[in-house]
Amino acid sequence: MLTFSRNKLVSIYRKDDRILLVRGILEDDIYGMEMDISISMPDLEIVSIQGKWTRMENSECPRAVPFLQEAVGFRLLEDGFRQRVKKIVGRKSCRHFANILLECCDAAEDAAEVIRAEGEKEGKGTFTLQNSLEEEKEAVIATGPDKDDLDRSMAKPVKGGSAEGLVIDLHVHTSEASPCSSAPLGDLVTKARRIGLDGICLTDHNHVWDPRTLAELRERHDFLILGGNEIATDQGDMLVFGFDEDINEIMRLDKLKKKVVKTGGFIIAAHPFRGFLTFGIGQLGLTPEKAMERPLFKHVDAVEVLNSKVSDKENRFSSQVAEGLDLPGTGGSDAHEVEEVGVYATRFSGVITNEEELVEALKGGNYSPLAFRAEIGAKE
Amino acid sequence: MTDILCFSRNNATTVEQPDEQTMVSSCCLQDTLTDLRLVIHVKTPHLEITNIAGEIRRSSEPEDLRIHETLRKVIGVRVGPGIKKIITGLMGTSAIEKKLVFMIGECCNGIILSFTKQVLLSAPEDKEKERDYFANMVKNSPRLYNSCAALSPESPLMDGIEPP
Repeated sequence: MLTFSRNKLVSIYRKDDRILLVRGILEDDIYGMEMDISISMPDLEIVSIQGKWTRMENSECPRAVPFLQEAVGFRLLEDGFRQRVKKIVGRKSCRHFANILLECCDAAEDAAEVIRAEGEKEGKGTFTLQNSLEEEKEAVIATGPDKDDLDRSMAKPVKGGSAEGLVIDLHVHTSEASPCSSAPLGDLVTKARRIGLDGICLTDHNHVWDPRTLAELRERHDFLILGGNEIATDQGDMLVFGFDEDINEIMRLDKLKKKVVKTGGFIIAAHPFRGFLTFGIGQLGLTPEKAMERPLFKHVDAVEVLNSKVSDKENRFSSQVAEGLDLPGTGGSDAHEVEEVGVYATRFSGVITNEEELVEALKGGNYSPLAFRAEIGAKE
Repeated sequence: MTDILCFSRNNATTVEQPDEQTMVSSCCLQDTLTDLRLVIHVKTPHLEITNIAGEIRRSSEPEDLRIHETLRKVIGVRVGPGIKKIITGLMGTSAIEKKLVFMIGECCNGIILSFTKQVLLSAPEDKEKERDYFANMVKNSPRLYNSCAALSPESPLMDGIEPP
């Protein structure tokens, strides 16, 4: 017997030489929705979009419909189109509307190719999609900190720490280097300092921060800003420290481990059970003992047991697994918004002033995760 | 006649559970240009992909794709958040590979939604109870907060819920 089914139907016809009309229908066990989109040719730009629910998850789902308008003006062949749909339509509206929208747009791209091929067959002059896109392609806006503005000289490390130890948020994403983050580095530092953190560690997705830039940032902000990297592997995301190779692919974890060992670095399994104990997946009967058998734990040096993007239950579960495997636990906010920094952090007993000392401290094992914001809230 | 379709697509995904330890998700994509089939086997409780098979029945693009080898790259990956990024990275980026990645994503999404369906079967229809139900769901899974319009801070379902 089927436990779930989803059917999507996309139909496309030409309104005229300049407009494709696309109709999408999604029907599954939970949701029913329809979408009508007009897409201009040859630039494949969404010029209008209407959507409606026929069945939905809850009574507030209709709030998603007006946000579909945010996709008007998107061009199907532009770099980052799918990510924009997922981020803007998926989050502001509904990820299932984003799903049928992407299906419609994918089909529209193919439809445009069919039209082009038929036009060529009939000997009619027609457009070339890629040329059209390239002609109109906007200059790529460079992201990341303006390194030219930075003094290249190595800065003196900022000293930090107190009798109670040094509290560092080991997992922070900046808008400068992570497309999914909307937190500018300067604002993160201001917030971190204000709430009493001793430092933050920049762990942008598959991004290597230039050590000279980090040193300059530490001096400029007079705050402990350290570099790490959240690397996507076949076994999930890994927080990697003391490893400066730029990895631009999904790497096998065993391969990454070999590379990190060579540089003397350190690997922490980031949010290893994110999403595994919610939405009924907990009914699977995953126990800490069974979870300990996962191959990934053979290759990591520590486990992130406090992460603000997962549930308390998932954090507790990570903690149980780390304890069972005798692996140290760390805490980090996984902040993608300024307000999230410092929700969780890691308290180190010694002084840390740069990346080398951070790796040394991580290997030393003299640290513990803490719910930092809750703790300072309690003190206040 | 201008209203004749110039392109049509059907994309069907199904999930079944032949035994307690196995889930099988299939995706069939048929459109004007392409006919692709994909089946993945997932083992519980880790939701690890243990087997995958696919077939290119029709494709407009002359692809020299060794589909078996390409698909095998995702064996061992677990179904869960972030899987689309992982499979996109493991597979290639040709047009047909992109379609296969999308279909694997659909299969994985189907598996997750089959669990979601079980949870939602107990959702109350009463407005007041509905609010409590979804508020509790968000408390248990903070990533859901502000993840869509219905669970945004402006939604009545999130009244009284503090941002995580």
